[in-house]
Formats: sequence, structure tokens, C-alpha cells
Amino acid sequence: MKADTASEPSLLTATGLTRAYRGGKGVFDITLKLAPGEVMGLMGPNGSGKTTLLRLLATAATPSAGQISWFRNANPHDPSVRRRLGVMLDQPAHFDKMTGYQNAWFFAHQFGLADELARDRLDELFRWSGLWDAREQLVSEYSLGMKRKLNLVEALVHRPSILLLDEPTLALDYRAELDLIERLQLLSLTGTAVVLATNDVHLAERLCDYVIFLHDGRLIREGHVPQLLAEVAGSKEVQLQVNSPIALESLRALAAVEAANVEGDTVHIILARGANPAQVLAVLNGTADLVSNMRVRRPNLGDVFLKLTGVALPAVHR
Amino acid sequence: MLAGTIWQRELLEFAQRRRALAIKLAFPLVFGIPLVIAAPPLYAAITLTMLIAIIGALGAGAVLTRERESGLTLRYRTLPVTPGRLLIERLSTSALIDLLQVAPVLVLIGLRHPSQFSWWPALALSTAAVLLIGNLMGAVASTLSDSPGEVMLYVFIVLLPLLFLAGVFTSLTEPALLAVSRLLPFSYLHESLLGALGGQPNLLAWETLLGGFGFLVGAAGLTGRLGRRVLESD
Repeated sequence: MKADTASEPSLLTATGLTRAYRGGKGVFDITLKLAPGEVMGLMGPNGSGKTTLLRLLATAATPSAGQISWFRNANPHDPSVRRRLGVMLDQPAHFDKMTGYQNAWFFAHQFGLADELARDRLDELFRWSGLWDAREQLVSEYSLGMKRKLNLVEALVHRPSILLLDEPTLALDYRAELDLIERLQLLSLTGTAVVLATNDVHLAERLCDYVIFLHDGRLIREGHVPQLLAEVAGSKEVQLQVNSPIALESLRALAAVEAANVEGDTVHIILARGANPAQVLAVLNGTADLVSNMRVRRPNLGDVFLKLTGVALPAVHR
Repeated sequence: MLAGTIWQRELLEFAQRRRALAIKLAFPLVFGIPLVIAAPPLYAAITLTMLIAIIGALGAGAVLTRERESGLTLRYRTLPVTPGRLLIERLSTSALIDLLQVAPVLVLIGLRHPSQFSWWPALALSTAAVLLIGNLMGAVASTLSDSPGEVMLYVFIVLLPLLFLAGVFTSLTEPALLAVSRLLPFSYLHESLLGALGGQPNLLAWETLLGGFGFLVGAAGLTGRLGRRVLESD
């Protein structure tokens, strides 16, 4: 069981953080704190500012306003700050004409690891990630999943105090995802703080202590995972696969419906506590061949987001 | 083979790309052999000055543009290395590789005109200075566009007038233009090539040596200062 970290000094604090891009995109006025061992999730639909916020926290971008302090040091260019950060950005960028091991060796040395230590840790991480047999292969021959695993290896090798990971499970197989969750849980127990930008609600629920919801670059809600889930406790999510467009407004007008949204051919509906899914079908009465599939499941963090914004988080394909 | 530092990595990647290595080394010789053996010193010096300036400017510009596009530049920002140091290591290694590339031509000049040995140190230094400045120009140009082709265009737009102002294409007699030419590294390379090829330079060997050295040190300093501008511009 992880210790309560609320009273511990923060590893990272951000105040009024803003990074504006042309076209109105970016993040605006974000304030957050990260304690040792805490796992924080940044969640929101595409374009909500997760990646921008993660880049700011990772020193890869400069804020237009606001301040970030890492280990009580507000200078993002200070090598002593960056040495304690492990970063996996959204693009798995590598030197393509070098092997996976050569890439990881280079990055390990940039973080000050001596030869012997780098070799020990890289050997262990390459075995753990399943890249051992491909270590002498050129990165240009790697699949996307392999490149992302290599990114993870490079982010972990110097045992950072804060891990900042952008969609870490993207393109990973289920086995690799489970291994990653286990490793991050272990690291968290030993005091490593983790920030995950993700839309994977299952990953967030399994791993995160605290979640920040972003929408249009703004922090719209934050809280501990159980606290957020309690907001939708007792309600149900109904997913209807429809053959042709339906009038969402008539669904939203129902007292039993807390939120409704369409994503592709799927209608997501959050039903209030005690409501019966049959009430939804009754509204669609007379259009029986409209619905090709219906699923009812317990609500998750994605439903909290849907309830807050009326926008569904993108589906994560497994 | 494993590389732990930025310069080692540059050399390793260069050595691993064998076909590119062969082409890179053969390319200057294709121009250099007929020029050094048969062309009048003035024409040989003009062409070789242009060739060396272009080799310096194109290499780093194209590589850095590709890295910006692939997301590697963003990764550099998360490394515990100051951008100035990172750029100095990268560009000086790139300039060193370029120097290796033009070295056979320089050796050929030495073999063909052994009596001009007093110009050799000046030639080596001014070549190194032009290559480093060329790399820096390419690096700065790489921040202007995501397209390697466009970056080449920006480099040429700046490089060609500078070569003219340096007195590479025409002999400058106007005092003001002459003074301007002395502020450009290409003029020292041009003069040292003229000297080493047995032509009639306007400067003495030691003056050219001093100019080449000054520009080499200046370019290194400027590279360090421009690190953040080049590697951390959004």
C-alpha cells in the first residue's frame, strides 16, 4: 500500500501555466502539484492540451506565462533538473541509422551513466521490454511499438525522480502494457512520481492516484480517482451502435440521461442512478432497425469526462 | 561500436553509412582533381572556395531539418546538456567530417604546389573556419523551415551574396568593398587557396592565417551562443 503523499514536499509545482499557440490552441492557467510516488493522469480528447502540458513539464517547451518548479528549481535548462526527469514524448524519435542498443547507450550516457552501470541497466531493460533480440537491429527497421518500447527504456535507464510519459501504452501489445503497469506501480512505491498523458481510462484507473481533465487547454476538473468515480457511481453507460443519425437532443431531454454524445457510429449515454436503459430505447421507438448493437457497462473515468463536457474521450483500441 | 557522447555519435553514424561516406569523400575530388591540375589558380580558387562553403552549409542544415521534423530536436531539449554545448559538439564534429571530406583536395594542392608550403597552415585554418561557419549558417537556416529543400534555398540566398562581397567572384578595388570583404571568412579562404595554388593573393600568408584563426574562434563562440536559438526555437 502506498503511503499518503499529500503532506510530502512536491517534486514539481506548476502555477498559472500557459502556453498559447496560434489558432487558440495550447494550455491556459494550469496549476498542479506532484508529490513523490504520486501517479498523475492528464486526460482529455485530442487537442485538449495534454501533450503541450506534458512537454512543458518535461522542459521540452517554454511556457508563455506561469511558472514551473522542479525539485525547487525553476530553471528548465539546468542540467541538474533534466537529469532527474525521464521523458517519453509522443513522437518516438531516434537516430534511425543506429541500432536500438546504440541509441539507448547514447541517451544513457547523456544522463551521466558510466559504462558498466549503463550496460547493466540497459541489459535488464532490454530484456524486460522484449527488445533484447532486436537490440542490434537498426531503429529504422523497428515497428512503432518497438520504437515506443525503446523510448520507455531510454526514459527509465537513469532512474529518474519524475517520469513524464505521453500515451505510454500506445502501440504496445497487451502483455507489454501489463508489464509497464507493473513496473510503474513498483517505481511509484519507491518514490518515483509519474505523469501520464493518456486517454486509456483503464490504464488511468489502474495506475493513477490523481487525474486532471483537460478540455480546450483548460483544467476543467481534477481529483483522486475514487473521488471522481464516485460522481458517476450507480449510473450506467449505455453504448448504442446506430445505423443512421439520431436526434441527440431528444435523448438529452430525458431526465434519466445525464449526458449523451456521438462518436462515429456509437452513441454514448450516461444514465442517472437507478434509470433503466429501456427508457432510452423507448425514445427511439419506431426506429427499431436503427440500433444494431447495445452495451451497458459500469461507468469509468471516460464517463466522468463525458458528464462534465458532453465530449467523449477517444476510444483506445486494444 | 557504441557512442556515449554527441561527437562520438556523429562520427559513428557517419562511419556506419558506407555508401554516403564513399560519395561524400569522392564528390570533392571529382571537382578538385581537374581544378588543381589543369585550371588557372584564380578559377580553381573561386570554385574551391564555393565548393567548401557549400559543403559546410548544406550538411548541417539538411540534417538538423530532418531531426526537427522527426522530433529528435524536441528530445534534445530534455537532455541534461546545455544547448550551446550540444550545438558546438554537433557542428564542430560535422565541420570535422566536412574537413575530412575536403582533405584529399587540400593534400592534392600541397602535392601539386609544394613550394607554396607557407600557405598551408592558413589554408587549413581558413578552410576549418569556413566549414564551421557554413555549418552554423545551415543550422540557423534549419530553424526557418521544416523542408530540407527550402532550407537549402535560404542558405544559397545568403551564401551567394556573401561570396560576392568577399571578393571571390571579382577582384574588389573599391576601399569600402575591400574592407567589407575582410569581414567575411570566405575572403581568407579564397586568398589562402590562391596562395597555395601559386596564384597572386592580395594578402600575406600570416595575415590570412590570422584571419582564418579569428573566424574559427569567433564561429565557435557564436555557435555556443546560438545553441538555444537553433535547438530550442518553437
